[in-house]
Amino acid sequence: MASPKLDRLLTAARITLGVIFTYAAFLKVSMSWLTFAASIDAYQILPDWSVTPLAQLLPWFELALGVLLVSGFAVRWIAPVVTLLLAGFFSAMVHAHMKGLDIDCGCFGPGEKIGSNTFLRDGTLVALALAVTVGSFLRGSPARHRLQ
Amino acid sequence: MNKPMLAILLLLVAGLAANTGAQNKTAPKSPSPPAKAEPFTMPPHASGSKDAPIVMEVWTDFECPHCKELYLRTLRRVIDDYCASGKVYLIHRDYPLPGHQHSREAARWASAAATVGKYEAVTEALFTAQETWSVSGSIEPVVATVLSPAELQKVKQVMSAHKEEIEAAIENDVFLGHEVQVTQTPTTKISQKGVTLSVSPGNFPYATLKSYLDSQLAK
Repeated sequence: MASPKLDRLLTAARITLGVIFTYAAFLKVSMSWLTFAASIDAYQILPDWSVTPLAQLLPWFELALGVLLVSGFAVRWIAPVVTLLLAGFFSAMVHAHMKGLDIDCGCFGPGEKIGSNTFLRDGTLVALALAVTVGSFLRGSPARHRLQ
Repeated sequence: MNKPMLAILLLLVAGLAANTGAQNKTAPKSPSPPAKAEPFTMPPHASGSKDAPIVMEVWTDFECPHCKELYLRTLRRVIDDYCASGKVYLIHRDYPLPGHQHSREAARWASAAATVGKYEAVTEALFTAQETWSVSGSIEPVVATVLSPAELQKVKQVMSAHKEEIEAAIENDVFLGHEVQVTQTPTTKISQKGVTLSVSPGNFPYATLKSYLDSQLAK
């Protein structure tokens, strides 16, 4: 069982993460999915056939995860998914950087190149998501977690 | 010869001379009028019909590797599959980036090639051989591979005679790019019935663009 102070910190971390996810998703959903497809393709990781479905579905998936994180529903299921997703984004950025690709991050729409700022921000988000995941298992079982 | 006779003779000679002069004046052998310089209009760098339901504008830089990839991987197929069938009007717009030493010169060659109807051929040749000329700066041999000697001569002539018009056309493309906030190349703007649907920087596979165009055409 985590201390009340840690509990409050983890709650703040979860809500912050949820708001950031919701905001990033909202930006992507509000633009043409073709624009996001260009961001995905720039990483040169995925096969051509997967770019379209991912560009169409990922923003909505992010939106759902963000809203669920903010609501605090099923955190033990949602937080690990968010952690894995963020770790995937971070790995993709590292891969692009190591390949010498001068590309947009695509995290919050176009226009932001991969660089120290994006690494710092996404690294922090991964750490935050990991903390929320671990914290969700250390916490007790309040009513809202009974579905977990 | 007496004086009156001499006077009459002089008058006749003067009259004849005057008449001849008058004839020269009324019917001069005028030189042919100077040939009027035909107003030069830059042919559009476009594929397909202007009446197509979807208009695609693509800002590219001839030295940009992503532009090469977009052109060779995606746009060529769009030209074949959508422009040829009248579904898409594809407009190529120049956006030579300041850091690229030869891209503006390449844009000039492509623009001039449009006057002999070889814009696409020259564009494709320039993108295909990008690694060569972008280093050497030797663009003419690349252009020459897709033009006949007569066409090459005409293109060179256009380049020297209409330098300012070509430059103005390139600058106009750059200006239009600024208007839609182009910050990198390639950038693709897609419009339908005058409404902008998307402005997407970067590259996308043909399958993705096809899926997008089909979904818009189905609406």
